[in-house]
Amino acid sequence: MSTAARARAAAPGALAGVLSASLLGLFLLPVWALLGFATPAGIVHESSDPQFWAALDVTLQASAIAVAASLLLGVPLGYLLARKRFPGKAVIRSVVLLPVMIPHLVAGLALFLWIEPGGTVYRIAHWAGVPLLDSIWAVALVMVYVGASYTVLASEFAFRSVEEDALEAARSLGASRTDAFLDVTLPTAGRGILTGALLTWARGVSEIGAFLILAYAVYPGAGYTGPVTSPVSVYIYNLYGLNLHAAAAAASLLLLLALAAFLAVQLFERWGRLPWRRGEVGA
Amino acid sequence: MSGLEVEDLVVPRGAFRLGPTRLATAPGTVTALIGPNGAGKTTLLRAIAGFERPTQGTVRLDGKELGPLPPEERGIGWVPAGLGLLAHRRVEENVRYGLDLRGDPAAREKGRAWTERLGLSELARRYPRQLSSGERQRVAIARALAVEPSLLLLDEPTAALDADAREALVRTLRELLAGESVALLLVAHDAPTALALADRVHLLERGASRFDGTLSELLERPPNRFAARFLGFENVLPPEALSAPTAGAIERRLSALAGPGGVAVPARSLRVRAGGDGPEARLRARRGGPRTVLVELAGLSLLGEADPAQPLPSVGGTVHLELEEGEVRAITA
Repeated sequence: MSTAARARAAAPGALAGVLSASLLGLFLLPVWALLGFATPAGIVHESSDPQFWAALDVTLQASAIAVAASLLLGVPLGYLLARKRFPGKAVIRSVVLLPVMIPHLVAGLALFLWIEPGGTVYRIAHWAGVPLLDSIWAVALVMVYVGASYTVLASEFAFRSVEEDALEAARSLGASRTDAFLDVTLPTAGRGILTGALLTWARGVSEIGAFLILAYAVYPGAGYTGPVTSPVSVYIYNLYGLNLHAAAAAASLLLLLALAAFLAVQLFERWGRLPWRRGEVGA
Repeated sequence: MSGLEVEDLVVPRGAFRLGPTRLATAPGTVTALIGPNGAGKTTLLRAIAGFERPTQGTVRLDGKELGPLPPEERGIGWVPAGLGLLAHRRVEENVRYGLDLRGDPAAREKGRAWTERLGLSELARRYPRQLSSGERQRVAIARALAVEPSLLLLDEPTAALDADAREALVRTLRELLAGESVALLLVAHDAPTALALADRVHLLERGASRFDGTLSELLERPPNRFAARFLGFENVLPPEALSAPTAGAIERRLSALAGPGGVAVPARSLRVRAGGDGPEARLRARRGGPRTVLVELAGLSLLGEADPAQPLPSVGGTVHLELEEGEVRAITA
């Protein structure tokens, strides 16, 4: 092959490499700028602020509730979309995508109008001891609204990947439908469902638009007399208006914690005894 | 009666309809289901295994009506074309899966015995993704046989295998089934598998049964052109190919031997020589084995076998044909 031909053959790969590097740079350089602006001393200082941890606590508690609710409600829907035939499936899938598509301030406003104080939903929730405005439940509700779609879609994709042959072979060997679900479907789809839950969690933690309307000044619930706080994203937004250095330090701290969580999940997967995914055919 | 009895089974699947089909297999015998793509072979196996709902007919195993029973209560070994191995379980865990489901206290020992019997002992700790296609196939068969079914259904067991792996699997199956009472019903997509294993053949075409009998009966009277091709007849000629106005002595003779579906002529029945008294043809190509050649005869292309005693002319030259009628078969429909 001549030098010119080799250069022509390499050109598309080089172009793709440059474009990819540009995007990766766009992802990483602002993070670098944030960490540089925050400075290590600023991050250490922020980590001693109890208000940051109180806000983080609200976020973590609410996101745990949101992930649990998304799994409870979203996995069955993902299963139905993947494995059952029924009319209106395309419409239902569009409804699932709705929270992903609409601006989240709009979502917050819509949720607020749905649960407006004095309304039926508000009164029922209040009667059940679940105040739906300015409470941790409101934070969790927003997180479910903006994030559960990811659990549904990832579950649907995961359930689709379960081979019908494996289910049928298991049935022929004596597995009931429930056995086959537990022995074949869940182990195969589990990783995809976990990915969906992580995306739901990440989406919830990063939310702010709907919180500003529905859960601006959060307290855990009726009868609570302690300090009022906010989810950590709202806390950082408030700091941004008062002290840019403190906001950058708090944002960096959140970023480092999220990174640690991400690494923990990666390690869990490595340790998580999934060698059947690492095997090579014909080894 | 023991064994499998399928009577007047009808299974609709959208626009396709299988049946009415009638089929019987005795314990310890092998029946090959053959037919073109879309004939309904897999649908029939799935209906017997309980994964399709027939609208008519009965399936009985060892005298017991299976109609209302779900797949897990039929006691039928089912190895689908995709095998359906549990990817997250090791070979040994896959093999004993059915035994574990039954709570068999000897599941480990039995599983180990079947793993050994199928030559999988060294692979017992591996996961399915770490195996070759042939090894995976053996795991699936070991798993199905471990629960001692009286009927084993295999859907195209050799489809994904190369020639060596296919022969090895056929050998394994023959050894496994020797002296066993399990009946085997398999979809065979190639003649070597069917010829090496099957006692009986059931031919399906467009959802309808076209033949049910022994292999030698099938070879003697191929019921349609698919069967003739499946059995390896190199020349499968429809009646209209033999009745052209330009037809010569060979075509007229074949026409006399043909049935309603035409005629099947093995290459070895058509002797191709450089000289002689036989009708003339043009040598078009040397094909396949060293003696198989393609000749053209008044617009008809035929595969014949060169006489080793006479060197043939170069491609394009004139050759002489001689028909040995003993192995020519009429296609009955």
